[in-house]
Amino acid sequence: MSLAARVDQPVPMPRGRRRTELVMLLFALAVVLLAYGAVGLGLKGKLPAGLPVYVIVFAILMIAGHFAVRRFAPYADPLLLPLAALLNGLGIVMIYRLQESGRNGNPGYLVSPVMSTSAAKLQLVYTGVGIVGLVLVLVLISEARVLQRYTYTLGALGLALLALPALLPSSHSVVNGAKVWIILGGFSIQPGEFARLALAVFFAGYLVSKRDVLALAGRRVLGIDLPRARDLGPVLIAWAASLLILIFETDIGQSALFFGLFVAMLYIATQRTSWLLIGLGLFLAGTFVTASLFHHVGERFTIWLHPFQGSNPLNASYQLVQGLEGMAFGGLFGTGLGHGQPYFTPLVQSDFIFTAFGEELGLVGVMALLLIFGLLVQRGLRAALAVKDPFSKLLAAGLSFVLALQVFVIVGGVSGLIPLTGVTTPFLSQGGSSLVASWILVGLLIRVSDSARKPAPQPIQDEGMTQVVRAG
Amino acid sequence: MNRAILRISLACLAMFVLLLLNINYVQAFETTKLADEPHNVRVFDQQFTYQRGTILANGDGTYLKIAESVPVKGTDIYVRKYPYGTIYAPVTGYDTIYGKTGIEQTENSLLAGTDPRLAVHNFTALLTGKQKQGATVALTISPAAQKAAYQALAADGGHPAALVALDPSTGAVLALASYPSFDPNELTTLNGAKLDKIDRQLLADPRQPLLNRAIQERYPPGSSFKVVTSSAAFSTGKVANPSTTVLAPTVLTLPNGHHLINDGGEVCGNGHPPIIQAFWMSCNTAFGGLGIKLTAPVLRDYSSKFGMNAPLSIPLPVVPSIVPEVQGWTDPSLTAFTAIGQFNDAVTPMQEAMFSAAIANGGTLMKPYLVQRVLGPGLSLIESHTPSVLSQAVSRTVAGYVQSMMFEVTHNPGGTAAATAGPQATGGITIDGKTGTAENGINNGNPNDAVFTCFVPGSNGRPSPIAVGVIVQGGGFGADAAAPIAVAVIKAYLGAHS
Repeated sequence: MSLAARVDQPVPMPRGRRRTELVMLLFALAVVLLAYGAVGLGLKGKLPAGLPVYVIVFAILMIAGHFAVRRFAPYADPLLLPLAALLNGLGIVMIYRLQESGRNGNPGYLVSPVMSTSAAKLQLVYTGVGIVGLVLVLVLISEARVLQRYTYTLGALGLALLALPALLPSSHSVVNGAKVWIILGGFSIQPGEFARLALAVFFAGYLVSKRDVLALAGRRVLGIDLPRARDLGPVLIAWAASLLILIFETDIGQSALFFGLFVAMLYIATQRTSWLLIGLGLFLAGTFVTASLFHHVGERFTIWLHPFQGSNPLNASYQLVQGLEGMAFGGLFGTGLGHGQPYFTPLVQSDFIFTAFGEELGLVGVMALLLIFGLLVQRGLRAALAVKDPFSKLLAAGLSFVLALQVFVIVGGVSGLIPLTGVTTPFLSQGGSSLVASWILVGLLIRVSDSARKPAPQPIQDEGMTQVVRAG
Repeated sequence: MNRAILRISLACLAMFVLLLLNINYVQAFETTKLADEPHNVRVFDQQFTYQRGTILANGDGTYLKIAESVPVKGTDIYVRKYPYGTIYAPVTGYDTIYGKTGIEQTENSLLAGTDPRLAVHNFTALLTGKQKQGATVALTISPAAQKAAYQALAADGGHPAALVALDPSTGAVLALASYPSFDPNELTTLNGAKLDKIDRQLLADPRQPLLNRAIQERYPPGSSFKVVTSSAAFSTGKVANPSTTVLAPTVLTLPNGHHLINDGGEVCGNGHPPIIQAFWMSCNTAFGGLGIKLTAPVLRDYSSKFGMNAPLSIPLPVVPSIVPEVQGWTDPSLTAFTAIGQFNDAVTPMQEAMFSAAIANGGTLMKPYLVQRVLGPGLSLIESHTPSVLSQAVSRTVAGYVQSMMFEVTHNPGGTAAATAGPQATGGITIDGKTGTAENGINNGNPNDAVFTCFVPGSNGRPSPIAVGVIVQGGGFGADAAAPIAVAVIKAYLGAHS
């Protein structure tokens, strides 16, 4: 059949909507450009000297991402890339703003020991690495389900990455009191960020193959079908692993994300509410026991419940209180970029970057940020709903959920909703591991959404021309 | 699996809704509470990045800047300047990085621009990109009177002293001066260590320059209290009018056997002078005897009608002047001393001015106040003071009686202040007054405090323009030490308003 005949098909082809993506991306770049200019004007009353270079490099990276999507995932959701680009760009702007004002508003002094004077430049480099990650995902993984072949390989890799910092000596694994790093030479990564992705693939593969067994009902207690005792094995292993992270790496946030990811995916695979309840129960019990046994865990609860009590604001809860006072100072409309004093909050460039946005962009600004995150999660879940392949479905749903959970844990933590645990704010926080991992996550969602929206393969021959050959 | 994914989507939605609600709570509903947290470093720093409102002395119809914020070159912060430092320090107070006093403290929300009445201005400033600005506070202080007061107090031999001048018909505070004073400019440094050092020096200074004597320190009123005693005597009918004779022996033997004598053992007329003569000569025996007849609770009631025994806010806090109800205070022998402003009577210079103000205004005591009006950025009117009555001290008739007696104090050749506040001394200005020479200290061992309360009577249907109270600690005879200070202030004030 000729090409012309195919174009004349009566069934309309679903559109790729790449032009929409490009327009949205340009809009995101314009917002970033204006924010960057505003920082310069706010801090020094003039446009930052490096403005063209930063913005042009950033724009080239994002547009390269766009062309990669155009080439390798032409039917992908048009919003995923622009949303991620907007968050990434605003993150660099805020990091630049913090780097320029310096500690306590003294330019030249580092805001924090882990922030270099070229933090914004570094973040731009990490953005480049992140885009390379995105492109590699799109090039190497033609369909998400090819990953299913590597279920156990990635599972082992994920566990190894997760456990490595705990096994390494402190000099090679501790930064700012958190034992979650691998430091080799001058180079350091936070393997947990990548472990989460590898384990999401592992869970998806494992659960897709075992979900029929896990969904089998055991005894019925209080109107809930409990799973069979022998099927509890995997969930107990995941729980134990998350507790070990909690204890040995003093990283409550990472452990909550890891366990939440597993329970949510288990629930989606089996559709059994009992797994959710068991998971939640185990998590609360584990947290309670560790909180009473380990001081550093228990203290998080004290800080959360009584941030302003006694001398807490000057000691234990100093960071939380500074963040809250910064957000409150921003009020509805914020002080404007460069006009606030977010630098009083320790680690404002990483864990607490959301409070810096709250202070300078105000309530309207951070509500917009949360809506951008929410939209990103929603587009991911939409892809999960639409895609047919169960593995892709489970993977996309799990990744979207863990992104939402990560935002909830860190934003809820810094705004006093839940006890504070140090996880990065996706795309916004300073740091390469988180940024690159976030881009890979978005790459996977783009891949799944492409599969979901791709038109079904056209029959090679028209029905009428089919010759029925009967075996004699 | 789609049903489970939809449920998980709902869970994600719930998490985002919770986050949105919580940041709304923090950034919209809890902002005031968080801003008021002690150690809120942003709120602390903010006060230096906005132009704090100016304080003006508006009492002469002109606007004199007595406190203003000026930008520091090369920075984006403002520093407070007090162009007339020591003269206005008891009024303006100071604004330091650690705390505020005076008008700087009481009107802080307006000066800092945080007052709800400035919300519209601040919002407009936000929209138009202008900087937030504090409101301007215009005070009733007359620059002419205030300057004359401080200079006269300082020229009086270095005694600690204070003066208050009031407009009797409105209660407007025309002058409020205290000596020795301090320079608030020294306290505006942003350097905490330097401020600590200066603050310690001021606190350790034995001359107590930070003490606002005009409203924060009490002294025995001495004979000036006879204004209250005679008011009570006329009002209760114990004495019919100024010509009524009273018993005024050279020595009054008290019920407890002690003796009360006149100043210097003076003879008071023929021993039965009209009360007006006992008043201009300031005979202790006459008023001591009247006090015993009136009884202590009645004296205290009348002192309350003149504003005593109650705290006052102008809006600077004024300590209550008192006739205290200590144990045995109703003992007639002690009441005789209460009636002549001794025993435990204690008044502020502000109260001395209020005695005269009430008499000058026909017996109606107006509530003293300092803030005439508050102007928003762009000089729109935010607040304007309406005079209010504090109390009806005495009837118009009794006020007239007391006024005629105070006239004789300065105009009768035998009056205690004839030489220092009479027409010759004032250059023709009529001043009615009452002197006081208060014994004080243990066994009255300290040098006497000089007290003078006076006013310029109204004429040709115009109300009395000014009433003044002065106390010079250890100044000696009231007429000699205190009266010339009052005269200087009155001359300066009338000169600026002629």
